[in-house]
Amino acid sequence: MQTEITEIICGICGAEDGELEPDLELFDAGLLDSFAVVQMLVEFEGRLGISLDIETLRREDISTPAKIIGLLGGVA
Amino acid sequence: MTPFEGLLFFYIMGLMLLPGVILGLLGRPLKIYGLIFTAVMLTIVFYENGQLLLLCGFYVWQIVLCLGFSRVKNKTKTIFRAAVVLSLLPLLAVKLSAVFPELRLLQLLGISYMTFRAVQVLIDIYDGRTEKPRLLELSYFLLFFPSAAAGPIDRYRRFLGDINRTPGKEEYCELLRRGFWRLMTGAFSGIAVSGIIWAYWLEPLPGGGFMAGLSYMYGYTLYLYFNFAGYSSMAIGTAYILGVRLPENFNKPFLSADMKDFWARWHISLSTWLRDYVYTRFVMGSLKAKRFKNKRTASYIGYIITFAAMGAWHGLSPNYLIYGAYHALLMCVNEALDLHYKSMRKFKQGAVSRVLMAVVTFHFVSFGLLIFSGRLV
Repeated sequence: MQTEITEIICGICGAEDGELEPDLELFDAGLLDSFAVVQMLVEFEGRLGISLDIETLRREDISTPAKIIGLLGGVA
Repeated sequence: MTPFEGLLFFYIMGLMLLPGVILGLLGRPLKIYGLIFTAVMLTIVFYENGQLLLLCGFYVWQIVLCLGFSRVKNKTKTIFRAAVVLSLLPLLAVKLSAVFPELRLLQLLGISYMTFRAVQVLIDIYDGRTEKPRLLELSYFLLFFPSAAAGPIDRYRRFLGDINRTPGKEEYCELLRRGFWRLMTGAFSGIAVSGIIWAYWLEPLPGGGFMAGLSYMYGYTLYLYFNFAGYSSMAIGTAYILGVRLPENFNKPFLSADMKDFWARWHISLSTWLRDYVYTRFVMGSLKAKRFKNKRTASYIGYIITFAAMGAWHGLSPNYLIYGAYHALLMCVNEALDLHYKSMRKFKQGAVSRVLMAVVTFHFVSFGLLIFSGRLV
């Protein structure tokens, strides 16, 4: 699942090869914004069957690829 | 009487906060006293303003809607939408009365903020985040005195977490220290600094002329920031003393590198409310239903709807509506530039270019606030 999550994050962020380090701050780097977050959640729901409640999701919970993977690992 | 203005207000509030401080220092629960504090302070302020009856009517209306909706067994989309429209009706009436002079009698301090809190509860009930709100907790949330008149707009479940938890003596001492500090710094910024800017910069300016307009634009931007950030700080400080950690409303907005960054730093509780309950819901619905060929179209239309709502929320007069449209346009252009010029992302991270972007963004923001001020239209 980790590979698929990373694929989704890379696709949404339009990240270049090697740009997506596990602890990269995605919002600070300008790779994630409100639209990208919604798009990512729709992809997680469609491809992985995992729904996250956007209203309770805090930016700091999904600010790095490692945090996103950890969060989804905990929910799945 | 206006909250957080005038010696009499602070004298009354100081006296009213004292029993809460004693309870907090003894490590006792603050919820019931907080409710009493809210009821007494609202009664004093709204009685003085002649709006007490209207506040009671508004409160009963929103409570009946929220509790009634929570008890509906089959919560269809139509019933949900009807409940939201009904919840927004008093706000619409007050906003319309500000535009049409013959209706000017209908005014209610803080209605924009209290309405957004009620709508949020309705959405939470519909989404299943909240099942059956309790009358006292819901009343406390909707009317919470420190943020009743001008925010910050809190979240229901976060608020419940705070009021149902008793801070220990040490934790309360820290809350009290921070609360007092925020009240003092807020008063300095919201009353002293903004008052000086108003009296010595804005008021002496002539009504017409390009240079006076330019000066007004800078002065008004600073005035509004110090005034509103100061007010928010005072509200947050008072809430801390009652054991409630209201969300922050400002985070160095004039350091924003672009408009998206700006809206993550300015009037944060409103912008995140609109982001979560308007923009995100629209975009998510559009992406799932595949409404648009190009996914980004959903985002652009989402911004237009969100900022139109933001403008109308401030008021229905042309300056507010144009202000909303102006920011919708800026956000769409910002998003398009980010999308088509990937190098912009790296450019904004450079030390010198970030300063340059902050100066440019500040000017776009200031021009927006000049529109907002009503000096242009």
